[in-house]
Amino acid sequence: MGKSSVSNKSLVSKLGGQKFIVLLVVIGLIIFFGAVSPDFRKYTTFMSILDYSYYIALMAIGVTFPLITGGVDLSIGTGLICYSLTGGYLIVQKGWPVAAGIAVSLLLSILIGLLNGTLVAVMNLPPFLATLCTCMITRGLGSIFSKGFGISWPTSGTPGSWFRNIFKITVNGTKIPLGFLWVLLLVVLMAFVLNHTKIGRYTIAIGSNKEATILSGINVKFYHIMAYVISGFFAGLAAIAYSAVFSTVQPGTGAGFELEAIGGAIIGGVSAA
Amino acid sequence: MGEVILTMKEIDKSFPGVHALDHVSFEVRKGEVHALMGENGAGKSTLMKVLTGIYKKDSGTISYEGKEVEFHNTREAQDAGIVIVHQELNMLRHLTVAQNIFIGREFKKGFAIDDKKMNEEAKKLFDKLHIDIDPTETMSNLTVGKQQMCEIAKAISHKAKVIIFDEPSAALTETEIEELFKIIKDLRKQELGIVYISHRMDEIKVITDRVTVMRDGTYVGTLITEKCTKDDIINMMVGRVIYEDPKQHSMVAPGAPVVLKVEHLNAGKMVQDVSFELHRGEILGFSGLMGAGRTETARAIFGADPIESGDIYVNGKKVIINSPEDAVKCGIGYLSEDRKRYGIVVQKTVAENSTMAALEKYMKGLFINKKEEKKVTEEYVKSLATKTPSVEQLVVNLSGGNQQKVVIAKWLVRDCEILIFDEPTRGIDVGAKNEIYKLMNKLAEEGKSIIMISSEMTEILRMSDRIVVMCEGKKTGEVSIEEASQEAIMNMATREIG
Amino acid sequence: MEKIKQNPIVKKLGFNRIILCCVLLLMYLLFSLVGKNFAGLPRILSALNYAYFLGFLSLGVTFVIATGGIDFSIGPVMFCSALISGYCLNSYGVPVALSLGISILVGALFGTFNGYLVAYWSVPPFIVSMASMNIAKGVASVFTKTQSVSWPQSTSEQGWFRNLVKIGNFPVGFVIFLAFAIVCSVILNKTKAGRYILSLGSNKEAVRLSGINIKKWEMLAYIICGILVGIAAIFFVAAYTTVQPGYGDQYNNEAIAGCVMGGTSMAGGLASIGGTVIGVFIIALLQEGILALHFTKDYQLIITGIIVIVAVYADVVARRRKN
Repeated sequence: MGKSSVSNKSLVSKLGGQKFIVLLVVIGLIIFFGAVSPDFRKYTTFMSILDYSYYIALMAIGVTFPLITGGVDLSIGTGLICYSLTGGYLIVQKGWPVAAGIAVSLLLSILIGLLNGTLVAVMNLPPFLATLCTCMITRGLGSIFSKGFGISWPTSGTPGSWFRNIFKITVNGTKIPLGFLWVLLLVVLMAFVLNHTKIGRYTIAIGSNKEATILSGINVKFYHIMAYVISGFFAGLAAIAYSAVFSTVQPGTGAGFELEAIGGAIIGGVSAA
Repeated sequence: MGEVILTMKEIDKSFPGVHALDHVSFEVRKGEVHALMGENGAGKSTLMKVLTGIYKKDSGTISYEGKEVEFHNTREAQDAGIVIVHQELNMLRHLTVAQNIFIGREFKKGFAIDDKKMNEEAKKLFDKLHIDIDPTETMSNLTVGKQQMCEIAKAISHKAKVIIFDEPSAALTETEIEELFKIIKDLRKQELGIVYISHRMDEIKVITDRVTVMRDGTYVGTLITEKCTKDDIINMMVGRVIYEDPKQHSMVAPGAPVVLKVEHLNAGKMVQDVSFELHRGEILGFSGLMGAGRTETARAIFGADPIESGDIYVNGKKVIINSPEDAVKCGIGYLSEDRKRYGIVVQKTVAENSTMAALEKYMKGLFINKKEEKKVTEEYVKSLATKTPSVEQLVVNLSGGNQQKVVIAKWLVRDCEILIFDEPTRGIDVGAKNEIYKLMNKLAEEGKSIIMISSEMTEILRMSDRIVVMCEGKKTGEVSIEEASQEAIMNMATREIG
Repeated sequence: MEKIKQNPIVKKLGFNRIILCCVLLLMYLLFSLVGKNFAGLPRILSALNYAYFLGFLSLGVTFVIATGGIDFSIGPVMFCSALISGYCLNSYGVPVALSLGISILVGALFGTFNGYLVAYWSVPPFIVSMASMNIAKGVASVFTKTQSVSWPQSTSEQGWFRNLVKIGNFPVGFVIFLAFAIVCSVILNKTKAGRYILSLGSNKEAVRLSGINIKKWEMLAYIICGILVGIAAIFFVAAYTTVQPGYGDQYNNEAIAGCVMGGTSMAGGLASIGGTVIGVFIIALLQEGILALHFTKDYQLIITGIIVIVAVYADVVARRRKN
């Protein structure tokens, strides 16, 4: 009787076996490339890897939520470009303040997340298809908003380029990868949300057994929608990171970003149902 | 028995094409265990779903604690004190025990959920019910029995006044059922009203005070359990008496050849050094508690899970089985305990399912000979008395018993000589059960050899010619039907735990 | 309504497919009324050009989706096939016929690779296709040294392969495509391979426990897909001229959308080749129609997205009513 109630969790399983292995692989890769290529050890190489990682990492954090519910969000890649183009267009072409442009980008990302959530949770469309459609829609919208042209957010040194400092700030000639700090903070924050708040708890519950979650009297539709809103919002944050790191945003791109982010999340241990 | 706490009067409910409940009445008193019986589809679950607000009734009244009520969802019913412990366990596998119990009403500390307090409360609850479960354990690590205990604890924590048990014992072992009964008796003492839905006659006699029987969506009658016999209840349920006596002696011809011999089979923790023989025309019962390693043994023999060591002989020849493909080539067929997951392909037709394992026989060159396929399926539909409008019907639309027959047909079409039946009658109603029994006897008579895994003692004693008992992955005994008794088997099934 | 559905002819053809056909016709009429010169032959031929390669992609991915898998590498692999074979043709002087063969071979190789990883190593299809998408793009870029590849014009000596699409104004490609669709339909519905592919898409474990080598059949679905993607590449280069390395993923969504619109279930186990064909034509017509109305491709994406949502939602509602 008492056998099953004795929990003998090893350290590795407590850390989450797969997460532990992934961390080891990353460290291993860094050591390998560092040993093989002298360039790799350079600070600039490291910085550019970080630059490329921010937007993927942000999308991966967000898409974890739909993945846990047993769904997926394929719209985040093209969505990112769409939000970036829209915000950028307003800033560059319409002379809006940068903060307002960012706000519009984020607002749009939440709206698309809301749309995804409604399609999946209220209209019961398969998540894969629903977000495949919003993927196409955001791709079209982005091009239409920007009139088909690439958009460059204010470059470093020009007024309004302050947002680029969010991710990389130059102090006494040394570039400091602030973005890394934000991503880390957001990882910790969202891990907390996932494990210790209602939104996270019910996200896991929906993924475990949706029917049972409904029977527990939980407003499943709301929390199911929230998972997609979070995913959308993080794609919005990723859009800001993307705009800040790269000089130009091209319409028609972005397809495939979502796959990298989802791949990252799955390799990190989220099971894709 | 105390005063009436819940009355359902003249409840009527129709679904498109089905009159599910036809003016059904039902009442529960404080401190009674009231059995609700009937065959599958009689309307028991529908009635309970109407009560707890999952379905909206068409007409009739529900009064609870003297007031007329109508719940719009389970949450409202729960808040009022009516809780249902579901047939299909409603567990959230990835969450812990405590997180499951308090789902939807978590304790909070600011924004965060207070898991520590939840664990403490859950522990208190378990102590009160004398249940030994670690609240921080992940739900998927618990046995079905323990999961059920958690469901009950959850119901109690809702300050329930009426608890509905929907087939609680279907997946429990005998000891777990005893524990469950202890808890139910405890609840009865605390003046709770308990509704107990079950197919199992023996339990009804042991645990309930009154029995209400339903048939085809109508109310048939209510009896005082003490004053009625098993046959009375069965008669009300199906209108015919069902033979349920143990088999007296083995039907296997003396000197029948050994068709399957398993020697020192090892496959993981659940299969340790298992050896046995199966004779032609024999029904070999595999008894034991849930988790005794019977299914694991069957899966290992069938090649569904890898074998670590041990030898398997079919008709005296040593065979190597690495996959179900190999096993089927040796003439072994396996009916899984979990039909929906491992037995049938629900979106395919009866014909397509029936020929699944033997499609080679029905090929015309590159193409499937659908005419032949249909013909052979129709033959088996007839000989097994499968109830289906046509062989083109999707299997998903058949009832459990008939789905089981389709799986049996699959192996018969393949000409399998050795059939492993894993809990062949789980979730099947009384009438259909009987048909499966008849069918197994017929197959054995025709010279097929059957291994029957069953957790129901009556089933084991009624069907087997010989009985192998397992406990915690080891074979702990073997008796012929002549020597077998419930006590002897139970003894062997618990030997390792000791 | 119920009466119509019970009609034997309607039942045979499938109610949903008839509705889809009506949608296709309505769209054509609408574009003809609104768009300039839409009713004319050039527009139709142009729409067909788009339908051919997309159609082959869709046919291919139908097999994979039938197993319950997914393939996101079809677009890039098609481009990879076209680039490698075109480069062989232009730079190594490989004859046209052989180049076309190479194209199919490349597709088949990728299909085998995907299938092997999914079936034998149990890697999730999503991850596998993601990997091979990147591999296809990378291989194509390395092979062509990131140069775009142009296939010979129809006027040139080597341009005979363009007859695969049309001779004069006769749409040869249409006939070939329909022939392939019929073959696919036969494979899916009348052969052992099709039966097992659909069954394992519905319940893999049950099929395995029926003593069937599911790995073999699952891998076969990906190989069939790969071959069809190779053929799609042929029709792409026969209809258009230049292929750029590093692209191709834009066609994934449209191919999958065409397949799903036609009634193939993403969950696996249910697939309709006829539906896929109609779905592809709807998408191709939409693409052409929107160009005819002087809108950019962007609007086509949005409208396709909305149409798929409506189509799938209609399916969800219909199924709910059935239960």
